[in-house]
Amino acid sequence: MRKPIQAAYAWANERLDLDDMVKFARKKTVPEHRHSAWYYWGGITLFFFLAQAVSGVLLLLYYRPGPDAYESVRQITFDIHFGWLIRSTHSWAANLMLISIFVHMFSVYFMKAYRSPREFGWWSGIVLLMMSMVFGFSGYLLPMNELAYFATKVGLEIPASLPVIGPVMADLVRGGLEVNEFTVHRFFALHVVVLPALFIPLLGFHLWLVQKHGNALPPSEEARPAAARRSIPFFPNFMLKDLAMWLIALNILAVLAAMFPWDLGQAADPLKPAPRGIHPEWYFMSQFQVLKVFGNWLPGAAGEIIGLVWFTLGMILWCIIPLYDPRNDGGRRGRRATYFGLLALLILIVTTAWGYWAIHSETLTDARPAPPIAGAALTPHQQIRSNPPAP
Amino acid sequence: MNYPFWNVPHIGSGWVIGLIAIFHIMISHFAVGGGLYLPMAEQKALREGRQDWLDTLRSHSKFFLVLTGVFGTVSGVGIWFAIGLANPEATSTLIHNFVFAWAIEWVVFLVELSTIVVYYYTWGRISNELHIKVGYAYAISSFLTLVVINGILTFMLTPGDAWLAVAGTGREASRFWQAFFNPTYWPSLFLRSAVCVSLAGIWALVTCSRIDGEARPQLKTDLVRWSAKWLLPSFIAMPFILGWYLWLVPESQRALLQLGMTTIGTGAFTQVTRVALIMVLTSATVVGLVYFLAWRLPLSFGRAHALAILLLGLVVTAAGEYSREMLRKPYVIGRHMYSNGVRVSEVARFNRDGYLPQSPWVPANATVLQRGQIMFRGECMACHTADAYRSMKVLLEGRDREAISRLLAILHDSKPDSPYKAFMPPLVGTAEEVTALGDYLESLARPAAHQAKD
Repeated sequence: MRKPIQAAYAWANERLDLDDMVKFARKKTVPEHRHSAWYYWGGITLFFFLAQAVSGVLLLLYYRPGPDAYESVRQITFDIHFGWLIRSTHSWAANLMLISIFVHMFSVYFMKAYRSPREFGWWSGIVLLMMSMVFGFSGYLLPMNELAYFATKVGLEIPASLPVIGPVMADLVRGGLEVNEFTVHRFFALHVVVLPALFIPLLGFHLWLVQKHGNALPPSEEARPAAARRSIPFFPNFMLKDLAMWLIALNILAVLAAMFPWDLGQAADPLKPAPRGIHPEWYFMSQFQVLKVFGNWLPGAAGEIIGLVWFTLGMILWCIIPLYDPRNDGGRRGRRATYFGLLALLILIVTTAWGYWAIHSETLTDARPAPPIAGAALTPHQQIRSNPPAP
Repeated sequence: MNYPFWNVPHIGSGWVIGLIAIFHIMISHFAVGGGLYLPMAEQKALREGRQDWLDTLRSHSKFFLVLTGVFGTVSGVGIWFAIGLANPEATSTLIHNFVFAWAIEWVVFLVELSTIVVYYYTWGRISNELHIKVGYAYAISSFLTLVVINGILTFMLTPGDAWLAVAGTGREASRFWQAFFNPTYWPSLFLRSAVCVSLAGIWALVTCSRIDGEARPQLKTDLVRWSAKWLLPSFIAMPFILGWYLWLVPESQRALLQLGMTTIGTGAFTQVTRVALIMVLTSATVVGLVYFLAWRLPLSFGRAHALAILLLGLVVTAAGEYSREMLRKPYVIGRHMYSNGVRVSEVARFNRDGYLPQSPWVPANATVLQRGQIMFRGECMACHTADAYRSMKVLLEGRDREAISRLLAILHDSKPDSPYKAFMPPLVGTAEEVTALGDYLESLARPAAHQAKD
């Protein structure tokens, strides 16, 4: 068995110079210290992206954008073998990817890995985060169920409130004055063509930068003498540990996808009132809450405009941090940057929690009784599918 | 019906058994596999003159003794205590059939406990040959506990035609051996033995992870790799044994696994498929992690790695046991007794004469709602709670009284094409009792509407 493998390797090696790649990978090292665990989060994010790419391609086999969108997702969820698993995997992987991006971004921030010469890594990472959020937003509408419809409608009202360009932008994205089948078509094109075409090359650039500059040392490690620092070879040591992390990530994804399958809900009906407590996904909740707070404080569109200015300013500051704190000398700027990061993290957590708490309170105060399901309305088979009473 | 109902609010009695059982199985299977690991490792160490191995094994045997001798035994007794409370009818049937088996179990259990104590306290005090013999005596006795209990557990899934032919006649014990060596006995024994061997390796890796790789590189490399090898037999054999096991499971039970392929549901209708998927995937993850972290990088194999593998092992155990339990649905003893303790043979009588008259727990002047509540406790509470796990409030939310009646009628008629038949026992009782249950369920699902009617 060993001989044919060796022969195949020799054949490929002659043509691709594999030995050189292995030699390079063995020479490359990864620092090992008490904060090393944070190095794995970039790889975990990549894994969740790949899981989405694979499950997304499988969903494409059956998904039909346009008026059939809901019906096609219903078929995927209820009729096609393991369709529910693929859809659930795709949705959970999207959420887990965003969680891991946030963890990765803040770990990079607090380990000061944005400092020179890694500025482009930081900037490309921020753009990748924003694109991932747009991936999430555009994908959320595709099943065209009740929640997705109203959440998208509310979500698009935010840019529409901007003076002059707002309504034009919103109409362009919606494909008209209302969220409808044309919006689904546009979001679909954005989700499966435009975003991947931009995301994948940028991701390649980001990974190339990591490869070029290597893993950054946190300030506590940099303060130690070079002889006291430890490192492990990238190949095979770090790679094997990275693969182990991928396996754990796969398992977490599988447990969530299997035990908490993504709900489909009812088909969107624009004539119906919006469901109680309609809100965006968790990764937009902070912005949503800030806009709501400013909207309550200030009259008319002023609140929303101030809110949008607040985000834009925050984002600009977040982006120029590498220029403000470029050196490894541990000076005052470094400390201020750390405080700024802590403040940003605190605002993000508090406003997200505040948003959920506010929605929960609104739902409780607006407790309209749900219409009863009439006895004759559903056959037992439909009952199982729509609301199965489990044994 | 002859026993009081054990009402465990929010989680239900099933989860009390489940929570104890998951930990117990993790430890008791380690007790069997680890029983083989210790004397085999000791023998190898003596043959190769590895004193450093012997020191580590001594420390491992202390951990083994405390974990299996204390937590294993206490949780084992806890399971039987809990099932006696949760499903007394089924426990009574098991005791009446298998009292002889339990007697054997207690004898081998005492031998098992005694030999492990002797094994640990005689390190360096008796000859090496005798010490190894004590170790193997422990291994044999602990394996025999599995041999015995496996007969009782598999009986609950597949009691076999021979036993079913005499079930309810009072002559059940005459078919003891047929019931014991029932259709799924052998594949289950092999399956559990494979799990035992794997768990021996996983727990040994926990001990190995504490060895300082920088100070003792050779010891750590050798012992980590040798322990990792213990996962190999089950990795290779498990798919075949699992296939053999499923092949012998009745077709009706196997069908439960297929429902989750095409559809989802929030309830247990598809849960067994989903949990079984997790079991298979997590097993593969455990083997992958052991290969990447232990076999390939033994020197840097640390406590966090070992605990991650152990935790995933716990997930596999939990998923496996849950799937096995769910495969029995709607029975607690296959084709003989439903999960709510109603015997298959009693259904017609309960429908004709009523369910409640058989119970000593119905007050003479019970209101309709009280009668409905007793019906719920007797027939539903084995699997459902009022307000949390498999909550009736959630499952019936939004349904009006007519919808509840229709659902109960479907459950009562239990026709062959009923989608509930695969998982749920038929609802038994007279029309008046079913109405009382419906009223009680409405009071849970729509308390305001129910009170308005009163």
